[in-house]
This record gives sequence, C-alpha cells and structure tokens, in this order.
Amino acid sequence: MEVSEKKAVKSIAIIGNPNVGKSSIFNQLTGLNQKIGNYPGMTVDKMMGYFQIGNKSFELIDLPGTYSLYPKSEDEIIAQKVLNGLGMEKPDAALVVLDACNLERSLLLGTQVLDLGIPMAFVVNMKDLAEKRGLSIQTFALYKELGVPLVLTDARNNQGLEAVRDLLSNDDFAVGKPFYELGFAALLEEVRLKFGFETPYQAFQQLVFAGYDPMLDQERKQWLEDKARSHGFDSQIQQTRETNQRFEKIKSTLSRTQSSGSGKPKKFHATLDKVLMHPVWGYVTFLGIMLLIFQAIFAWAEAPMDLIDGVFAALSGWVSDTLPPGVLTDLLSEGIITGIGGVVIFIPQIALLFGFLALLEDTGYFSRVVFLMDRLMRPFGLHGKSIVPLISGMACAIPGIMATRNISNTKERLITILVTPWMSCSARLPVYIILIGLTVPDEAWLGINLQALALLVMYLIGAAFTLLGAFALKFVLKSQEKSFLMTELPIYRMPRWQTVLLTMFNKSKIFVLEAGKVILAISIVLWVLASYGPSGEMEAIEAEEKAMLENVVEEQKFELTNEFASRKLEASYIGILGKAIEPAIRPLGYDWKIGIALLTSFAAREVFVATVATIYSVGENVEDELTIREKLNKQVHADTGEKVFTRATGFSLMVFYALAMQCMSTVAVVYRETKSWKWPVLQTIGMTIVAYLGALITYQIWS
Amino acid sequence: MTATGLKINQTYEIEGISASPLMVRMMEMGVMPGKSISLLQKAPFKGPMAFLIEGNILALRIEEADLIQIKGS
Ligand SMILES: Nc1nc2c(ncn2[C@@H]2O[C@H](COP(=O)(O)OP(=O)(O)OP(=O)(O)O)[C@@H](O)[C@H]2O)c(=O)[nH]1
Ligand SMILES: [Mg+2]
Repeated sequence: MEVSEKKAVKSIAIIGNPNVGKSSIFNQLTGLNQKIGNYPGMTVDKMMGYFQIGNKSFELIDLPGTYSLYPKSEDEIIAQKVLNGLGMEKPDAALVVLDACNLERSLLLGTQVLDLGIPMAFVVNMKDLAEKRGLSIQTFALYKELGVPLVLTDARNNQGLEAVRDLLSNDDFAVGKPFYELGFAALLEEVRLKFGFETPYQAFQQLVFAGYDPMLDQERKQWLEDKARSHGFDSQIQQTRETNQRFEKIKSTLSRTQSSGSGKPKKFHATLDKVLMHPVWGYVTFLGIMLLIFQAIFAWAEAPMDLIDGVFAALSGWVSDTLPPGVLTDLLSEGIITGIGGVVIFIPQIALLFGFLALLEDTGYFSRVVFLMDRLMRPFGLHGKSIVPLISGMACAIPGIMATRNISNTKERLITILVTPWMSCSARLPVYIILIGLTVPDEAWLGINLQALALLVMYLIGAAFTLLGAFALKFVLKSQEKSFLMTELPIYRMPRWQTVLLTMFNKSKIFVLEAGKVILAISIVLWVLASYGPSGEMEAIEAEEKAMLENVVEEQKFELTNEFASRKLEASYIGILGKAIEPAIRPLGYDWKIGIALLTSFAAREVFVATVATIYSVGENVEDELTIREKLNKQVHADTGEKVFTRATGFSLMVFYALAMQCMSTVAVVYRETKSWKWPVLQTIGMTIVAYLGALITYQIWS
Repeated sequence: MTATGLKINQTYEIEGISASPLMVRMMEMGVMPGKSISLLQKAPFKGPMAFLIEGNILALRIEEADLIQIKGS
C-alpha cells in the first residue's frame, strides 16, 4: 500500500525566461486572468492560483521571467527566492517553460533549475512559432538526454495543455541528473552543510551570489568570502565558466535532438520595425499614438459620458422626489448618487485608456518605445525602461510603480518610482473635466477646441513635472552603480481583442468599485460632520431660526432658511475644520468648502467631485435634476456674492490636483516597493509643497 | 572591430565578448561567440542600437555593444 505523505495541495512554480508564455500557461491552467503582454517583464510579482484536476488540488505560482538564477533586478530576484524557498515555503515542483524557438537560451535557465534538484518538468511553449519556422523538436530524445519529462504547448491557442494537466495529475515530475559538472567538491560540501542545502549546486550559487545577496547577514557573507578565498574560488570566473560549459553541453544535446529550420522571424516584422524604430518615423508614430489616445479620451468618450451624466442626474432627482424630504434623502440624492455618478461617468474614458495600453502591451510595441526613448530619458536620470511605468502611470500610478521592478539600476528605479505619480492618472480626469467644463468655454480657437486644449495642457504639465522632478532627483540621489540597457524586442503579435476588452471591463469595474467604496464612506462621514456640531451652537442657531421664521412674512421664509442653512453648516464640525484651514488655502483662491474637498482628496483624488457635491448641497434647496457641473456653476461666495468657481480658482485647483500626491494607495505601494517609509513620506511632502506653490502661482496669474 | 561598427543589415559573426561585469548577462541573453549578428537600427543621438542575433532582436546601448567583438575585419 502506498504511504500517503503528500501534502493536500501540491505547489508548483512556473519559471522561465521573460516573455516565453509563463503567465499564459498559468491562466490556461488556473482559469485566472493574470496579466499577459508581449513585453519581457510583464509579470513583476509572484502570483498564486489554485485549481483541481480530478480530486487533486494544486497551487500554481506564476513568477517573473529571468534569464538565469543569477538575478539582476527586483523582479528576477523574486523568481530566484521562490525557487530556493526563501521568504516562503519551497514549492514541491517546478514547471520550467522553454521557448521552442530559443531552446538553447531557455535551457540555460532550464538546466540550472535542474541542478537545484527540485522535481521538475519542461514545458516547451510557442510550438506554433517553431513549426512555422521549420524547427522540429524531438521531445522523446530530449527527455532521454535530460531525464526530465517534456511537453510541447502553444499556450496562446490552448494547445497541449491537456498533456500538462496529465503530467500534473500523474505527478510525473522528475529530479534530473546533474547537468553541470561542478568542481570544488570539498568547498561546496562545506557550504552545503553550513547552509543546509540539498544539492551542491545550491551551495555553488550561494557562493557566486554572496556579493549581491541582500538577504545574507554579515557574518555568513564574511564566512563565504573567506572560504571562497582560501579555496581560490573566484565567483566571476566561476560564473563565466558555468555559463560557457552549460551552453556547450546544451548545444551538443540539441544538435542530437532538434532539426533546425531558418529559425528567423518573418520579413513582415522587420519591415514594421523599419518604420516603428526609425530615427524619424519612429518618433512621429509614437507621438501620433499618444495624441490618438488623448483624442479618444477627450472626444470619443463624450457621447457615452453625456448619457451617463443624464441618467445619474435623473436618478438623483427621482430619489429626492420619491423619498420623504429630509437630510437622509439629501445625503442619498445629492451626496452619494451624485458622487458615484461623478465617477461612473468616467468609465468610457478609463476603459479607453486601459484598452489602448493593453493594445500597446500586447502587440510588442512597448519594447520599441524603450528603444526609442532610452537616449531621451537618460539626461533626466531615467532609463529607457522607465517609459513603461510612466505610460502606465497615465492610467494609474500603482501598476506603473510596480512595473519599475524591471529596471535593474536602483537609482533609476527609485527616481522612476518617485516621479510616476506626477503622470496624469485616470483619477485626475473627473476633476479636470468638471473644472474645465466650469471655467473654459466650449469654443474653437483656430479650429482647436479650447476645452481639449486645456485638458492637453494638464497632461503636459504632468509630463513636464515628471521629467523636471526626475532631473532634480538625479542630482540629489547618489549612486555608483552603472546603468545598462540590454533588452529583448519581442516579435510583433496580433493583439488578442478578447483580452483587451476584458482588461477594459475589469479595470473600469475595479476603478468604480474602489472609488465607490471610498466615496460612500467619505460622503457619510462628511454628511455627519456637516449636520452636527459642538453641542449648544447648532441648537442655538436652530432656536434663533425658529424664532425668526415666526416673525417674517411667507415670501421671506425661503431666503431665511437658506441663510440659516449656511450658518449651520459653518457651525458644524466640518465648518469648524474648514474654517480652520481656510487661511492656508485662501491665497490659492479656495473657500473653506473646497478646502474640505482637498482634505478628503488626500485619500483619493476622484473623491473631489463627490465631496463638493455633498458639501455644497447639505441643507440647501437645490433644484432637482441638475448635473454636478450645473450645481457647482451656481455656487457663489456667501460674503461677496461672486462665483466660487472662477477661472483663476478653477485653474489653480487643476494645477493643485495635477501636482499633489492625493492617493493613499500610491503611498502604500511606494512604501512596499522602496521598503521604507522615508521615500513615500518625502515624496508626499515634496509633491504637496510643489502643488501648493504651483496652485498659488497659477491663481495669482489668473486673478 | 566591435558591434558598434557594423554596417546596417549586413551579417557578421560574433568572435567573443570582452571581460566585464555584463559578460555573463550577455551570454545568458544569447550573445555568444559563433552567433550571427546584424545591425537593424540605431536610435538617434548615439542612442541604443538594435541587433538581430540568431533570430532575436536585442537592444543595447553603445557601451554594451562595444563589448561584442566581431570576427574578421
Ligand atoms: N505564438 C504564441 N504566442 C504565445 C504563446 N504563449 C504565449 N504567447 C504570447 O507571448 C506573449 C508573452 O506571454 P506571457 O504569458 O505574458 O509571457 P510571460 O512568460 O508570462 O512573460 P513575463 O511575465 O514578461 O516574463 C504574449 O503576447 C502571449 O500572447 C504560444 O504558445 N504561441
Ligand atoms: Mg508573466
């Protein structure tokens, strides 16, 4: 009888070179939607997925791609750590994904994993491309040579995954025979015992890696260095020797198991690159694409947005007509519904933005942009690869900041992290659009729509500060590390429309749900704070109101109620808070109500609209079925009777929102990625100061 | 000659890689003696260069390309 010592869930790590289709295989097996893209370095974090085959349960771990077990950047380190069981439990087995068109190179990593002694199997992916190029791979012969099972797949078209499932359910993983002949038996044995490793190759790796391993404490590091020196083990020489010998052995293995065709991509790709990477046309195309995206979010999204706007205005009107009048109804109709409507309305724009980015990622164009932009980014202390986080930052800073893991130079990575939040993200759109609608006429000037121009200027301000900020940081931060660019430009692929649509849908959903939650919470808190005040004061005003109402004629009652409403608001907690900060924001052209919106926006900037909608409507007899913009347009200063949202105030607010760090999630991500509070705190302070000064100058210019 | 001096779209052979901390990474990415190499594009203002090396396109800065020794010439 078989002794069952297996764990209930078998954990399997997927490892392989960048862009070989690891996440595609992960998705096919787990049914999840891990992000796939034709860009080496798409996946930057480990991701778990669970599934069952028959009655067996599996945990699959998708990893960032790496070229070898000697990591050079943050994302590659994750792959190496997981395989060695550092920071988490070591997986039970590894699926090593190889590129059928690049077997030689993928087997370098493949045989390294093999030497780690972990049970494994090879998945040879991209078999469709190999077939097209006339490469034929003799899997059985390869199996004989390597001693590890191989499965051929085409993960993009779901071919061959049944065989992978069979392999998993039969537990066909095998520990291969050691591939690379290590020297230094005595030294490696000592290291192996000291660290408790299973195989000598793990010890070898630890020795080679001792210099860069951040996980290693000083004592062990010293021990390793001493040992290496006394045995004459030079890690650079050893690593070179290892790589050379592996390749030699791989070559001879492959010559026996693979009949090769041309191995070259089709002519079509080369022609496309002649244009897209051209010293002139390449940049023209890039600019064109950026403008097209801008045009899409400005113009194409207008019709659906108007529709949504109307629906929400009607809904809010219906609620206030149907429910019994009172503060609660006001909260619902004026605060919550209007606030959520103020976010839902941006679904078309956000979906388009994410859709375009998904398209660019999926075709393989992003790598070309890295090539084109590297030279232009370097004077700013950035790397060519920084362009990917920055462009992603136009949708949302969070995935952008995550994507910096792909940048190996720590200084360039840090600068990219610190400036990415200045790129104009989609959460700023609601604020911009509302304020532009209030302050910029919908007219054409020399054939250019002024509102479109204003929005474009906001995007350019974001981009300009991103570059300037990076430029300044370049001089502040110190680093001796040398920067390099070595990146693969993958072949072009047709975008998978289904995935693009799915991305658009998912991202919009997340945006609305996340924003919706915050808006709901903040609206309620605001409403409570606006309806109650320190004991005594509110009651005193109410008593006074009652007394006065009895003495005035019917016609004056309406006006009087309004007057008392605003006095009550000022006496409420929120009023006291707002009045307290008013002196600080007065020079920027804001009244205390906008000040409250600034405060709540520190959680997330898209809350702005809901906040002003709530505050401006508490206790007021606003007419129904007004859109937010119409409501705000009617606001006047209580003391002077002037419009609140003048051009100067509007512009100043937009500049503030463009430059301030108003996003808790970004702060959290920066903390996680830099592993210290120093950077997110400095970043928030710095951005707030710049935002304040920027808004101040803007207001002074326009008023 | 190093890879910085290649003529566009002509095929050469890699002779070796100069010793440097990047040597191993280059080999890992498939830049190895005996492989064919040709230059596809140069970005303007001494920007990166794109090479076709055994069917894969690799973008390198001039400093990195300068490490690749070319056979013949
Ligand atoms: N033709 C073809 N394309 C594939 C295959 N598998 C994946 N792809 C495509 O290859 C690209 C990369 O796929 P991913 O699954 O994101 O690759 P990855 O290994 O996870 O990449 P990183 O996370 O960047 O390391 C995508 O454009 C996929 O659609 C395949 O078998 N055949
Ligand atoms: Mg991936």
